[in-house]
Amino acid sequence: MASTTRPTLLPGDEIPSSLIPSHPTKPLRLGPGLRHLPPSQILPTVSGQLITLPQKSSMWIEYNSSRYIPTQSDLVIGTILRSGPDFYYVLLSPFTPPATLPHLAFEGATKKTRPQLNPGSLVYARVTLANKHMDPEVECVSATTGKADGLGPLTNGGMVFDVSLGFARRLLMAKSKEEGKIEVLELLGGEEGKLSFETAVGRNGKVWIGSEDIKTVVIVGRALKETDEKKLGVEAQRKLVRKLIKEMK
Amino acid sequence: MPREAEPSLNEKQFVIQALQENLRLDGRELEQYRPLELTLGDQYGVADATLGKTRVLAKASAELTVPYTDRPLDGIFTIATELSPMTSPAFELNRPTETEVLLSRLLEKTVRRSNALDTESLCLIAGQKCWSVRVDVHVLSHDGNLIDAACFAVVSALRHFKKPDTSMEGGVLTVYTAAEREPVPLSWLHSPFCVTWSFYGEQGEIAVLDATWLEEQVRVGSCTISLNRHGEICQISKLGGTPVEAVALLQCSAVSLTKVKEFSTYLDEKLAEDAKRRNKGGLLAELSAENDR
Repeated sequence: MASTTRPTLLPGDEIPSSLIPSHPTKPLRLGPGLRHLPPSQILPTVSGQLITLPQKSSMWIEYNSSRYIPTQSDLVIGTILRSGPDFYYVLLSPFTPPATLPHLAFEGATKKTRPQLNPGSLVYARVTLANKHMDPEVECVSATTGKADGLGPLTNGGMVFDVSLGFARRLLMAKSKEEGKIEVLELLGGEEGKLSFETAVGRNGKVWIGSEDIKTVVIVGRALKETDEKKLGVEAQRKLVRKLIKEMK
Repeated sequence: MPREAEPSLNEKQFVIQALQENLRLDGRELEQYRPLELTLGDQYGVADATLGKTRVLAKASAELTVPYTDRPLDGIFTIATELSPMTSPAFELNRPTETEVLLSRLLEKTVRRSNALDTESLCLIAGQKCWSVRVDVHVLSHDGNLIDAACFAVVSALRHFKKPDTSMEGGVLTVYTAAEREPVPLSWLHSPFCVTWSFYGEQGEIAVLDATWLEEQVRVGSCTISLNRHGEICQISKLGGTPVEAVALLQCSAVSLTKVKEFSTYLDEKLAEDAKRRNKGGLLAELSAENDR
């Protein structure tokens, strides 16, 4: 569990040494937004909330940005640009070099049975390789189990909405209601809205929403975008959902 | 230079399906504009227009020059449009894209060729001295419907602009600074505005106002109508795309008129507000040396 104190830091601020996790065996791991200056200084390079996980001996800075930088094992939604001899070229964010997706990185794919994806199709994928100097690589199958685990082409219609990266991360949290303070999806799908829809959230700031009913997709998309853009709290989210449901009827 | 990423197949398909059910992604009606906002600058002739996430800044300025030899009695009026990489990485400096060319041509046609600005009043000494009025259009953010936003910004900037006062005495031309004499507004004849329609469906039967960038990317045709609040149409441009029935276009122009009236009243309100803000103590009327036309 993340600790309860989350100090907001500015770039170059000193991090109180009481907050730096010290684990007897695991080495300290620094996440995004922190920089280690040898021998022992740790400085934030961006402004945001400092989050520490003493059990995992890791710490990072949570901040909201618009530019996605691929990181290993991120779940992302990409658009197929074109097909090469062995790979699909997948666009994760506009104006960046495309990632590669091997033709055989799908569940149960062989040379003959691999899925044929046209340019412009959407895929839900996991980043397998990401470093500074190479184009990223993504896959739609777990390399260890050979199962798709929900990854793969997003074929049955639906719509993609762009949200901020911080919002996408909050949506992806295991307890997005308690920790991420996002309730809209549960409210819309639950008692309040009784809408049926499915979602896929990509860490590259994209949310795919699919449903039989087009109106539902529009309502869910608007609720998400408004929550993100206006930075709504839980109470405001409930109000928004009530308003949207009323509008729909 | 990187190209603009095309929307995915799902997005294209969904936008069209939704429009066929009279739904838009942001919950607007088909014939509804995004909230239009105008900020007038502290300096005369600076207008910042926002239409949803589209934002355009226009700046009018004037300088003394020699008139063109073939038009010795006319002043000079130019509109400079440039889409910089700030708008989107797909735009490059000094290499105009089609959007940019179309935008500047439409603005020329709407504002310049409809004689919204009386260029003869810009001439000071025939064949020797005249004002050159120039409007620079900067697109700060592009989320569709650049044309309408840019046209509104240009017209607002020109209506807000004031040029230095001048006088002729015994063949000597004097240009007064703002401290000596209150600057005078341009002689403005009428305010044309652009209204852009986007068409969807196989025969272009769905007409949509103020399309966002995503909607613009999937439309089958578009039509820009420029008119003023008296209903005088300055130009209609329908550049390619799916043919649209004449009756539908007539209906579009009728709706455009109501929109233009809204724009016009909004701009008048804003200008009056700005004039009131500047006119502290009600002394501006005394400072002005301008005669009624």
